[in-house]
Amino acid sequence: MTVDILFQAFALVFRWDVILIILASGLFGMFVGAMPGLTATMATALLIPVTFFMDPVPALGAIVTATAMAIFAGDIPAAMLRMPGTPASAAYTDESYLMGRKGQLDLNLGTNLVTSVLGGLIGVAILVLAAPALAEFALAFSSFEYFWLAALGLTCAVFLATNDPLKGFASLFLGLGLGTIGIDPAAGFPRFTFGSVELMQGVSFIPAMIGMFAISELLRGVTSMQGSGEVVLQQVGNVFKGVGGVLRRYWVNFLRGSGIGVVIGALPGAGADIAAWISYAVSKRFSKEPEKFGTGHVEGIVDAGAANNSALAAAWIPALVFGIPGDSITAIVIGVLYMKGMNPGPTVFLQNPQLIYAVFMIFVLANLLMLPLGWAIIKSAKQVLRVPKNILLPMILIFCVVGSYAMTNSVYGIIIMLVLGIFAFMLEENGFPIAPIILGLVLGEMFEQNFITSMIKSDGSFLAFFARPIAGMLGVATIAIWLIMLWRMGPWSKARPAAV
Amino acid sequence: MRFNDLVSGAILIAVALIVIVLTLNFPAFPGQNYGPAVFPRLLAGLLMLCGLVMGIRGFAAWRAGEPLAEVPSWARDPANIVSALLVLAAALAYIFVLDAVGFVPLTLVVLLVLFLWFKVRVPVAVVTALVAAFGINWFFASLMRVPLPRGLMDWIL
Repeated sequence: MTVDILFQAFALVFRWDVILIILASGLFGMFVGAMPGLTATMATALLIPVTFFMDPVPALGAIVTATAMAIFAGDIPAAMLRMPGTPASAAYTDESYLMGRKGQLDLNLGTNLVTSVLGGLIGVAILVLAAPALAEFALAFSSFEYFWLAALGLTCAVFLATNDPLKGFASLFLGLGLGTIGIDPAAGFPRFTFGSVELMQGVSFIPAMIGMFAISELLRGVTSMQGSGEVVLQQVGNVFKGVGGVLRRYWVNFLRGSGIGVVIGALPGAGADIAAWISYAVSKRFSKEPEKFGTGHVEGIVDAGAANNSALAAAWIPALVFGIPGDSITAIVIGVLYMKGMNPGPTVFLQNPQLIYAVFMIFVLANLLMLPLGWAIIKSAKQVLRVPKNILLPMILIFCVVGSYAMTNSVYGIIIMLVLGIFAFMLEENGFPIAPIILGLVLGEMFEQNFITSMIKSDGSFLAFFARPIAGMLGVATIAIWLIMLWRMGPWSKARPAAV
Repeated sequence: MRFNDLVSGAILIAVALIVIVLTLNFPAFPGQNYGPAVFPRLLAGLLMLCGLVMGIRGFAAWRAGEPLAEVPSWARDPANIVSALLVLAAALAYIFVLDAVGFVPLTLVVLLVLFLWFKVRVPVAVVTALVAAFGINWFFASLMRVPLPRGLMDWIL
């Protein structure tokens, strides 16, 4: 990397319009994150139509900023209302709420904010260091390596995202199946289009996302509107008091949480919410005072608060380097990258390094911006949390409709949104996870292409899939995870999938 | 509706069978063993396997007394069902009459109906719907250049 590229990136980021967009999307992300029921993924899906007409850097900057803010802001209603603002805060919602009940609301929110900022920065640091190095390495990859990478990513999505692998795999195959609609990548034959010209280019990606993440969430929202009464909120004082002491005491927890977050985030398919669950569990396991967990103890919050924000940045590593999403947010980002002509993969680091470094800069900027914005949203939480759902939900519906329409400039986008929204709602009602469908849909074409290319190259011999060293290693790792899952599904396993 | 895994599994197998039938008329290319039908058929096979195992699991649960289908708790309140249907109806309205009616008039109607059903006070509902419909139209149609249909707006404004 030359200094020249850094200057180019700097010039792309530090323009008043880009900074303004970052500020606005930061506020948007804070609001969406703080509203229980609206997730960071939904924030991303709703942002895409707006970013569609922007240059690549502000468009990606808006997504980066909004999601980072949303993951932190989810901690606020968790502490105040015992309702996680996003699933990434669910792991320690009870702990946060109990801290608030003990009169430590300020300390809790302050710890959440500071660990989120610092954890996010650690995630960015790893992203900046690891992604270009990995990209150089990945230049030598052939279709066999990419086939196994995609297979490993899809497997991890099932392995980590659900306690019922059977339904996880069913979701994954359905998603991959949706991905086969349209012109096939090997021979150019239109599949499952039923004569529709619009289906020939495949299931339109962003409307599908809006449907599966926003419409299904909306349906759940309107069907649980009854009984959400007035909430009483506590007054917030000085949130930064005592945070330094907590960090000095639990700095090991902070580093461990950030580290777990980076690893889970970088693994394809699992993101901030799973990172928070795992790091909280690890924290309890290795704590000197595990009996204090679940009574309003700050220790686990340091771990998990750092983990979910560091995971967010680390999820961009596989997304940028291999085009394999690290979580459901980067699954949407990959769609955006293609739309902006920055096809993810190792070559993007050679062709457009200034854009990549501009995104990295925005990541740092977003995490620094989180401190003042987070403080502001904590102070105004009383007003934000009072925004009535009965006005908010119909408005979100309109945004979904307009967003889907804008992606195709026709009602075709709205049709895709509605059909997949109902589909996702029904599947979730029956315990099928949604994340594997999204990953299948995103990775489907790449997966199939590499599979068919590899099959043609090897003339149908599966041994060739293991002949190259890295492909072989990835293949063995993937198959090992399959075996673990089979073992877990067996009748001798005690961990039976819970009925959902 | 919440189904027993026996039903879910059967649906998965049915979907897989339909996919396989559809791939039957995909063309084969001479000298090319791996054509457009390979991947969908592989997926259908795996899906069928999932369906089969799920069916067996569901059958055991059904024998143990689990009903084949049950109504989830949210659906026991008819008001919730109306809410869900209203959201779906709103999306359908956009699909079928957006081009004829236009974005602003349709959004006004949709928002007003939803607001009033969700018991937003009438003056608040009217003002919010007006601001939202014109505001969103201004943002997307004027600023973002999305060709939102004008419909009836053409002879009103």
